[in-house]
Amino acid sequence: MVDEKQLRDAVKKTISRDDVKYVVGYEKGTSGFLVSPTFAFTPGDADKFIFSPLCVNNLAVYPMLEDKPPLRKGEEPDTRKIGLVVKGCDSRAIVQIIQEKGLKREDVVIIGIPCTGVIDPKKIKEKFPGQMKNVDVKEENEKFVITIDGKIHKISKDELLAEKCKHCEYPAPVLYDILIGKEIKSTKKEDYKEIEPLEKKSLEDKWDYWEKQFERCIRCYACRDACPLCYCKECMVDLLDPQWIRRSVNLSENTAWNLLRAFHLAGRCIGCGECERVCPMDLPLMKLNKKIEKDIKEMYDYTSGIDAEEKPLLAMFKPDDPEEFIL
Amino acid sequence: MDKYVLPKDNLSKFVSEMIGKYKVFAPVNDNNVTLFKQIKNPKEINLEFTNSKVPPKNLLFCQTETLFKFTPGTKGKIHPVDFDNGGRTVFGIRPCDAKSLAILDRVFKGDFEDPYYLTKRKNTILVGLSCTQPCLNCFCTSFNDSPASPEFVDILLTDIGDKYFVEVNSDKGKQLVKTMNKLFKSATEADGKKKKEVEKKAKDIITRFQKIDGITEKLDKIFENPFWETVANKCLGCGTCTYLCPTCHCFDIQDETTMTDGGRVRIWDTCMISEYTLQASGYNPRPARMNRVRNRVYHKYNYYPKNFEVIACVGCGRCIDSCPVNIDIIDVVTRAGEVKP
Repeated sequence: MVDEKQLRDAVKKTISRDDVKYVVGYEKGTSGFLVSPTFAFTPGDADKFIFSPLCVNNLAVYPMLEDKPPLRKGEEPDTRKIGLVVKGCDSRAIVQIIQEKGLKREDVVIIGIPCTGVIDPKKIKEKFPGQMKNVDVKEENEKFVITIDGKIHKISKDELLAEKCKHCEYPAPVLYDILIGKEIKSTKKEDYKEIEPLEKKSLEDKWDYWEKQFERCIRCYACRDACPLCYCKECMVDLLDPQWIRRSVNLSENTAWNLLRAFHLAGRCIGCGECERVCPMDLPLMKLNKKIEKDIKEMYDYTSGIDAEEKPLLAMFKPDDPEEFIL
Repeated sequence: MDKYVLPKDNLSKFVSEMIGKYKVFAPVNDNNVTLFKQIKNPKEINLEFTNSKVPPKNLLFCQTETLFKFTPGTKGKIHPVDFDNGGRTVFGIRPCDAKSLAILDRVFKGDFEDPYYLTKRKNTILVGLSCTQPCLNCFCTSFNDSPASPEFVDILLTDIGDKYFVEVNSDKGKQLVKTMNKLFKSATEADGKKKKEVEKKAKDIITRFQKIDGITEKLDKIFENPFWETVANKCLGCGTCTYLCPTCHCFDIQDETTMTDGGRVRIWDTCMISEYTLQASGYNPRPARMNRVRNRVYHKYNYYPKNFEVIACVGCGRCIDSCPVNIDIIDVVTRAGEVKP
């Protein structure tokens, strides 16, 4: 369990610094099991901060979303830091962005939370439908303890755990300034079992599977916008001259978008699962990302977002890299 | 208004007969996502749904619509597209989504008549289905609407147990029932009473309420208020809320060409992305997420009522259900009403 008092104190301390602009964390959402990203601009704002197994969002996206309007004459850029509350996976996104020089280490103050797994919002909504009042959720002895109208439900973790957490090897933040609680180690191993059935399909069946998925895509780009690693200043789908992907929403263009995005995240995706969580059409996008992650691990023994000093996969060369694909 | 009952055993026959005469669109389960799609068989229909993920506006105002085709180059030519003049029915449309079409009509019948939307609209019969189990974020009652209102459909079916209570609200609806009158029986007073009970029960399920009294005038006074920054801070800038909104109707028009042919297409656009207002000069009048989030609220609760005397929200709750960061339009508008100007 995360000590919320300790968290709020850390947020207060961080936002009280002159060199910090704001701190991003979680607060209770507007109904039931929802939590919402929240911003502290003053020490008083820290009182609404929470952390529970419902805090699924990856807040590492926010420094990359900062609006940077052109400066007026004589105006200095605001170089103050952004404080972030992060779980293990979220911290890996920050590390990856730092590796890629999207952020400098000193741009962020990281409040790390050793995470023992979060709840899949879809699963809990299905299990307890129609919850309007905010619900308190805790974790105790490998069970999620959910209190609804005074009644306590103890549900095994496996039943509600987000898919990304089932094989998480980095539950504790890999980079932080302040740690809330104690370091924890993972006992889990990513075995990529989830994608095995799909890997075994024939090429034709694979296409068939993905066509049925991509057909539904409405190109709202929530996958891109929720992804902390999708931070290109100009995304290829927004470009008009040349236009890489047509605006028409059909299977061909949708496929181009989803595959290009997956490839663009090769060696960069840290597996936070936000793209899949936010997809309104329930596209199983993590299956694409996990397959690429697996291939990269097997070929290059590389895991993204672990060490801020390391170079990104596609920016480094080792003499013993496999070269079978080079003719 | 003519009132009938349709025994549940006759439902599939009713749909089959419609399929024989019209293109029928109905809610289907597509990989656990409920969507309105054309059906060829009544068995494809999924009636176990609260509402479809994508509103059925997409059947009339398509996400992608080819306006005309052309041959590019110096010897270029324009090839008009054929309008689909065939009859269509949308079976199972919810009263809120039906109202949204009445709201969209004001735009597409406005200064310019849009033949693409209006042809389909004219040829479409709306066979509505009352909500008996509204979802958590439904708030149609905030606009004095009802989850079982026949106002904006041609025919409304309401599940009253072993049969549907049928309200016929238009000439189109009358025609449809007339051609299949064997399937319908006249409704008794008890049936009407039962419908009222079902309607009341559904209304009682709706607990969320948006305070809209005087919101249009209030918004005039708080355009520059820092409140909008606090709402927009967490916005990711994706298009989910607008694409899933039954009343959002912005579109982009582009020419898509190859060497030999081309088409002018109209595609849904979203005011939540920066490119939406980006001008050719490079200037962007809505440069920040705050400007865009604010615009979504103002368009629905200020500009639209000023232009068309109706708020451009029907309370379907889709934008709340699907927002990745819990930007909740009920909460935002209610709080906007409380902001000190």
